[in-house]
Amino acid sequence: MTRSPSTDTTLPDDLGPAFVTALQGALEDAAPALGDLDRRAGDGDFGDNVRTAMKNLARELESAEPEDYRGWVTAMSRAWLGVGGTSGPLFGMFYRDLAKAAGDGEAPDLGALAEALEAGQAVIQKYGEAEVGDRTMVDALAPAVVALREAAQAGKAPAEALAAAEQAAIEAARGTAELTARRGRASYVGETAKGVMDPGACAMGLVVGALRVAVEADGGEVAADWIE
Amino acid sequence: MRRSIVNDPDQLVPEALEGFVLSHPGRLALDAEHRFVRRAEPARDKVGLVSGGGSGHEPLHAGFVGPGMLDVAVAGAVFASPTALQVLEATKAADSGRGVVQIVKNYTGDVLNFRIAGEISGDDEVETEIVLVDDDLATDTADGGGPGRRGTAATVIVEKICGAAAEEGQDLAAVADLGRRVAASARTMSLALAAGTHPGDEEPQFSLGDDEVELGVGIHGERAARRVPFTTADGLTDLLLDPLLEELDLSRGDELLAIVNGLGGTYPLELNLVARRLHRRLADAGMSVGRSLVGSYVTSLDMHGVSLTLMPLDAELTRLWDAPVATPALSW
Repeated sequence: MTRSPSTDTTLPDDLGPAFVTALQGALEDAAPALGDLDRRAGDGDFGDNVRTAMKNLARELESAEPEDYRGWVTAMSRAWLGVGGTSGPLFGMFYRDLAKAAGDGEAPDLGALAEALEAGQAVIQKYGEAEVGDRTMVDALAPAVVALREAAQAGKAPAEALAAAEQAAIEAARGTAELTARRGRASYVGETAKGVMDPGACAMGLVVGALRVAVEADGGEVAADWIE
Repeated sequence: MRRSIVNDPDQLVPEALEGFVLSHPGRLALDAEHRFVRRAEPARDKVGLVSGGGSGHEPLHAGFVGPGMLDVAVAGAVFASPTALQVLEATKAADSGRGVVQIVKNYTGDVLNFRIAGEISGDDEVETEIVLVDDDLATDTADGGGPGRRGTAATVIVEKICGAAAEEGQDLAAVADLGRRVAASARTMSLALAAGTHPGDEEPQFSLGDDEVELGVGIHGERAARRVPFTTADGLTDLLLDPLLEELDLSRGDELLAIVNGLGGTYPLELNLVARRLHRRLADAGMSVGRSLVGSYVTSLDMHGVSLTLMPLDAELTRLWDAPVATPALSW
C-alpha cells in the first residue's frame, strides 16, 4: 500500500477499548431493530443472537480486563463464537482476524486495520460461502474495505478514511433491501425479504461505525438511526 | 398430547448432563460452562478424541466417553450444534499433546462450528483432524450437490474404532484415516412408525397414519422422502436391508458389522425381531453378521423407529472393534 509520507496513519492507543465499548453500546441499542428485520426476512433469531453475544462479552470483560487492542477485540471474538446459528461463528472469525491487526501491547495503524478488515471479509466468505450480493453481512463489509483502502491510499487521515468506510457500509447495508438472498437464513424466504434490510449487513455497518467513533477525537455515538 | 419429564425446557440439557455425570462418579467430569463431558481421569500421551453435536441423540455422545472411546463429548441444545467456542474448549480439553481427532456428523451447523474450532485451536498449538461421518443412504444424491449424506448411527463405529486406535498409540493421521475408512464403508437406513416430540412440546414433529411408515428418516425428526405401507417386522427389516445390500459391494463369505439401532421409542423386543431377520437374510446370502450391537445408541428423542447400519469387516477393523472399552453406554 502506498501512503503519503506526511500523513499520520497511527490510530489511538485506546482503540481496542474505545471500539469494543462503542460497538457494545450500539449493538445493545440496535438489538430490537435487528431482531425485527430478521423476523421479517429471516428466521428471527438474530436479535437474540446479538443479545447473547453482548451477554457473553460482558462476561468475558468481567473475568479479565483486556490489556491491549488484541485482547479487547479477542473478547468480542469469543463472545460471538459462543453464539449459535451461522452468524455467531462467522462474526467470531471476523473479529479474530480484526484482532490480529496489532501485536501484543500495540494498537494497529490504519494500513494494518484495513488489511485486517480484508482478512476478516475473506474468512467470512470462506466459511459462509457467500459472495457480494447474496444479502449477507459481506455486502456491507466489502465496500467498506474498498473505501478504506482507497482513502488510505489517497493519504486521508484515519478519521476521514473510516468515515468514508462507514458511509460505504451503511449505503450497501441499505441496498440489501433490494437483494434476494442466496445464502443465510433469508434464502428460505426468498422474495418476501424484498424491501427489508439484511440484519447481518446492518450489524456490520455498526462495526465500521464503531471503528470510526473510536478513531475520531470526539466521535460521539455510533449512528444507528438508519436501521429500520 | 405427550407430556415430558422436564423442569424448565431451556435447562433440559445442562440439567441432564449434570445428572448423567453425577451417575458415573469417578469416571466422568462436567465442564458446566462449556457443556462438555470428559473423562474424570484425562488420558495421557495419546491422540485425543472429541465428538459432539445437538442433544436428543442420547446415549450419543456423552455415553461414549471413557477408556477405549471418546475423551470429550460436547453438547448443543436439542438438535442444535454446540457453539464454536464450546467445541474449541472441548477440543483443548481432549488434547494431551498428540493432537485431537474431531468426529463430526455431517450437518451444516456442526461442520461449520467444528471446522472453525479446529482452525482456532491451532492458536493454542493443538493439532486437529476432522472425521466427517456421512453414512445415511437415504440422503445419498447422485449429483453430489447439496450438503451430502447425513451422519447417523455409524458415528458409534467411528468413535469405537478411532478410540481403540488412539488407545493403542497410533498417531493423529493414522487415527483420522481409520475413522474416514469406517465412514466411507458404513451405510445406514432408517424408518419411523411415529415421530419424536420435543420436550415441552405437545405434538410430535410429524404425524403418520396407522398404515404408513416414513422410510429414510434422519435423527432430527425431519420428514423423509418416502412414505410406504406399514407391514410386519420382517417386511420392515427388508425395507432397510435391500437398499443397503444394493449399495454395499458385498460378496459371499463377507463378514459384516451391524448396528440394529432403536431411535428412542422402540422396544428392545422389536429390535430383536429386526436382528433375527437380518441374521437369516445374510445367512441365506452366504454372508454373516460378524459383530453387532442391538439397542438404542443414536436416538431421535422418542421416535418410534429403527435404523440398520452395515459395514464390511476386515481383520484390522475386527481387532479394533474387539479392543476393550469402558464407557457408560458401551463396555466390554
